[in-house]
Amino acid sequence: MASNLQSAETEAVGQKTWIWQAFAMPGVVWLIVLFVVPFYAVISVAMGDIDPIFLKPQPEWNPLAWDPSAFGAVFGDLFGGQLGKIAVRTMGYVASASLLCVAIGYPVAYFVARRVEKHKALWLLALLAPFWINYLMRMLAWVNLLSPDGWVNKAIALFGFPEQNWLSGRAIVVILGLVYGYIPYFILPLYAALDRIDTQVIEAAKDLGASPRQAFLRVTAPMSKQGVLAGLVIIMLPMFGDYYTPNLLSGSPRTRMIGNQIDQFINQTTSQGGQGAALTLVLMAFVAILMVYYLINISRVTQKARE
Amino acid sequence: MAFHPRQNYHASSKSQGMSRRDFITRAAAMGLAFPTLSAFLAACGDGGATDAVQVVIGSPANPVTQPLLDSNQMISSGLPAEAGPLRIYNWADYLNPETIPLAEEALGTSIELTTFFNEEEALQKLISGEVNFDVFFPVAGSIPKVVAGQLIQPLNHEYLPNLSNIWPQLADPFYDKGSQYTVPYTVYSTGIAWRNDMVDDADVTGIDNAWDVFWNPKYADIPVGLYDDFRETLGAALYRNGVTEVHNATQAEIDQATADLIELIDLTDIKYTIDGAYAGIPEGRFGVHMAWSGDMVSAPYYFPEDGDPSVTRYAWPAQTGSSVHGQISSDTMTVLKGSENPVLAHQFLNFMLDEDQALTNFGWVGYQPPQKGLDVDYLVADEWVPEYLSSAIVRPEDFSDPRASVPIALTADQEAKLLDAWTKVQSGG
Repeated sequence: MASNLQSAETEAVGQKTWIWQAFAMPGVVWLIVLFVVPFYAVISVAMGDIDPIFLKPQPEWNPLAWDPSAFGAVFGDLFGGQLGKIAVRTMGYVASASLLCVAIGYPVAYFVARRVEKHKALWLLALLAPFWINYLMRMLAWVNLLSPDGWVNKAIALFGFPEQNWLSGRAIVVILGLVYGYIPYFILPLYAALDRIDTQVIEAAKDLGASPRQAFLRVTAPMSKQGVLAGLVIIMLPMFGDYYTPNLLSGSPRTRMIGNQIDQFINQTTSQGGQGAALTLVLMAFVAILMVYYLINISRVTQKARE
Repeated sequence: MAFHPRQNYHASSKSQGMSRRDFITRAAAMGLAFPTLSAFLAACGDGGATDAVQVVIGSPANPVTQPLLDSNQMISSGLPAEAGPLRIYNWADYLNPETIPLAEEALGTSIELTTFFNEEEALQKLISGEVNFDVFFPVAGSIPKVVAGQLIQPLNHEYLPNLSNIWPQLADPFYDKGSQYTVPYTVYSTGIAWRNDMVDDADVTGIDNAWDVFWNPKYADIPVGLYDDFRETLGAALYRNGVTEVHNATQAEIDQATADLIELIDLTDIKYTIDGAYAGIPEGRFGVHMAWSGDMVSAPYYFPEDGDPSVTRYAWPAQTGSSVHGQISSDTMTVLKGSENPVLAHQFLNFMLDEDQALTNFGWVGYQPPQKGLDVDYLVADEWVPEYLSSAIVRPEDFSDPRASVPIALTADQEAKLLDAWTKVQSGG
C-alpha cells in the first residue's frame, strides 16, 4: 500500500517535471539558433580556408577537416607581437574603467537604495534614463562636447585653463568614455542587490554595538558583493570587445583596443577573416574565465545560504 | 544647418566601403591568368558551368581582355524589354533617389534598389545565389574575380549606344579591354583635403611632395587625419617615398612607410577615420585629412550654418608635384549573370550613361561620371562644383598621367605584407 502511494506520487511529480521542463524549450531553441549555431559558424570560419577566386573565408563545417593555423598566427602575435601590446592595453583600460565604475557607482547605488526616502521612483528613473539613449548617440554627444570649440573647453576656459585637444588620442579620455558608457549597467544590478538587503540585519548589527562604519564593512559590503560582481561581469564583458568608444573618442593608434583589431581583421579585407574569427574565440575564452569565476562565486554563496 | 541628402550616419559606411573595394583579388600575378577546376565553380553556386575559370588581372602597362566563356553568353540584339521589376544592387548612397523615378519612367518598369555597405558582403550574397538582382556596381579592381566567378554577364553593346559618351581612357579600360563586361560609373582620385583657415595652402600645393603635409611638425596642434584603410594610407606613405606601385612594393619599402606612419602618432597626434574628410573638415574636427575627390565635392553641404565652405581645399599630389604619385580609381556598372531582366538591365546602364542623367546623379552622389561632355570648365561654370574645389574634378588625361597609380589587385602575399604593416601602424608600433 505504502509503496503504491509512493509510486503514484513519483508519477505525479514526474509529470509536473515534464511540464516545467517544457517551459525551458523557448529558451533552449533561442540559445541553439542564436548562440550555438553562430558560435559553430565562427569556429568553422576560424578553422576554414580561403576561397581561391574571391579570397574570402570558406567555413569548414566538418570538424575532422579543421585547420587551426589561424589560431597559431593569433597566439604567435599575442605572445611577443603587436597583438600582445594591444591585449595588455585593453586589459589596462578595462581594469581602470571597472575600478572607476566601482568607485563612482557604488556610492550612487548605495545612496539610492539605502538613503533616499522621498521620491525614490524619481531617483530610479534617473538611474534608468541613460538606457533610453543609444550608446552610440551618447558617445557622439561627447565627441561634440569634447571638440576643440566644444562646451568642455568653453567651461574650463571660464576657470582660466588653456584649451585642451581632448580627442587627440588620450588614454584617459577613452577610459572615462568607457566608464561613462557602461556605468549605468553597473549601478542597476548593484542597486537591486543593496535594495534587497534586509534593513533588520543592519539594525541588528547596530543593536549589537557595531558603529555605522563597522555595520557597513561587516554586513552591507559582504552582502552586496554579489551585486558588485554581477555589475562587473555585465560591464567588463562588453568593454573587452568595445571598439567604437576608442574609435569615436580617440581614433589614434595609441588607444587601440582588441575590438579594433578584430574589426580590422574582419572589415579591412576578407583574407584575414579566419584570424578575426580566431581572435574572437580567444577573447571569448578569456572573458569566459571571468564568467566562470563569477558563477563559482554565486554557487558558493547559494550553497552557503542553503546551509 | 545645410542639408545634404547623404547626411546621415550611413554615409560614412559608404565611404568606408569605397575604400575597401579595390584590392581584394590577389590570387594571380599581374597580367597572368591561371586556370582552376570547374569543380570549384560548382562550389561557387554555379552548377551549370563547365568552363575553366581564369582570373585575369591587367594593369595600364598590360591591359587585358577578360575571357568570354561558352557557358556565359551575352544576350542577343533586338530583344524586347522584360516587364521587370528591375532589381539594382548598389552601394548605399550611391544613386540619386531622384534618378530612380526618372529611370522608371524612361524604362517603363518599376525599380527595386537594394544597397550594401561593403563589397565583400555583397559578393558573399551574390555567390550564395540567395539573392536575385539584375544590375551590380563593382569596383574596377574586382572585375577579374567577378568575371572568373561568373557572377556577371558579357554586355551586348547594341543596347549601349551611350557608351560613346564615355572618356576613351575608360571606354576601353585596362581591366576589361573592349568593355566586354563593364561600363564605367564614376571616377575619383585620392588626395589631400584641408581647411585653408587652419593650414597654409603653400604647405600642400607649394611643395613638390604634397604628401609631406601630414609629416609637417607645424601642424602638431591642429587635428590631422588619414583614412582608416590599409591600402590607401600605406599607399600614400609609399608614394611620398617615391614608390609608385603599391602592389609591387618591396618589404624594405613597406617597412619604411610603416616607420614613417608610426612616427606620426607622436609628431601630429595622427587619427585614423573614414568620415574625417567629407564631414570632419566641414565640422572643423580636422584641419587636414586624406580624401577621396568625390567625398570633397559633397563636403560643402556638410558645413554648419555659420560655417564658410569656401575654406575647403583639395589637392591630388600627382597633379601638384613634379614626380610624386597619387591614386586614381574607377567604379563600374555590370549586368549580373543570373539577371531575369537582362534587356532592362542593359537599358538601365545605357540610361545612366546618358549625359543628363549622369549629371543629375552626380549632383547628389558627388562622385563624378567620366562623361566627355562634363569637363572641369563645364562643371565649374555651371556651378556643379565650386571653383575652390575644381581640383577635385578628375580629368580624362589624369588616367594617362605618368604620376597616376591605379589600384591593381594585390597578390595574397603582398596583401599579407601590407596588412601586417598596417597592424603595426594601427597599434602604435
